[in-house]
Amino acid sequence: MKNKLKVLRAMRNWSQAELADRLDVSRQAVNAIETGKYDPSLPLAFKLARLFAMPIEEIFDDAAKENHDDQ
Amino acid sequence: MMTSEPDAPRKSIGIAWPIAITLATLFSMGVVAGYLDAMAARGRDAPSSVVGAGLVLLIGIAAMAIYVRRVGKFWESWSKRRRLYWISLGGAALIGLISSALLQSGRADVEIGALFTNSALSPSIAIALALLWSVGLAVTMAGYHRTIDDHEERAWLWAGLAGWYAFIIPAPAWWILHRAELAPPADAMLIFVFSMVVNAVVYLWLKFR
Repeated sequence: MKNKLKVLRAMRNWSQAELADRLDVSRQAVNAIETGKYDPSLPLAFKLARLFAMPIEEIFDDAAKENHDDQ
Repeated sequence: MMTSEPDAPRKSIGIAWPIAITLATLFSMGVVAGYLDAMAARGRDAPSSVVGAGLVLLIGIAAMAIYVRRVGKFWESWSKRRRLYWISLGGAALIGLISSALLQSGRADVEIGALFTNSALSPSIAIALALLWSVGLAVTMAGYHRTIDDHEERAWLWAGLAGWYAFIIPAPAWWILHRAELAPPADAMLIFVFSMVVNAVVYLWLKFR
């Protein structure tokens, strides 16, 4: 799943380690989410949404929704 | 998996010193144990290599305690989850280290493969190892799995599944082949090691790729 995590992090000038500390997860977890190798759990997605003060769907690109809308 | 609210960023702690202390301790344990074994082999009076290695281990633990005390502020700045995570991992590593030392105690052939031989053990060492492995590892790993983030949890779930298949596929196949006298008797420890290796490879791949 695509996401804007890297952009949002860069806008705040945070390193992956800093973001990981704020989320209380490992740096590898942040890297895996940013590169799309791993989709976060719902609790972690909500934590991200609270941290960036944005709805989850603005951070994560719901490709399935676009396909659904096309039908 | 443990979750908590986002909070202020914490300063990351350098891990160079803990790694250096650990490596120096392991190296010194090997040197001391080897020296004492060599002395004993020449018929000279020398304390057991387990005692020597144990003393070095205590010095290593003391050095680590001094280091942790010096960086106490960093330690306190860590979240509860992160502290329990590293305590559990350190505990599991220590259990592995002590188990290896106990398995090697009294052996002259100090090599990796010797850890998994079926040679006889004294009852006291066997009981200590069984308790250390079954109780000690269960407790530390329970703490560890309660504190990992969900990315690492996912890596473990797949690694555990891969390790499971690395056990259930070769074990019956080997057993069947042995019944037809096409293979030697199934070696449980060899299958165990294979399963552990597959588990570790998958975990490391998913965690660090």
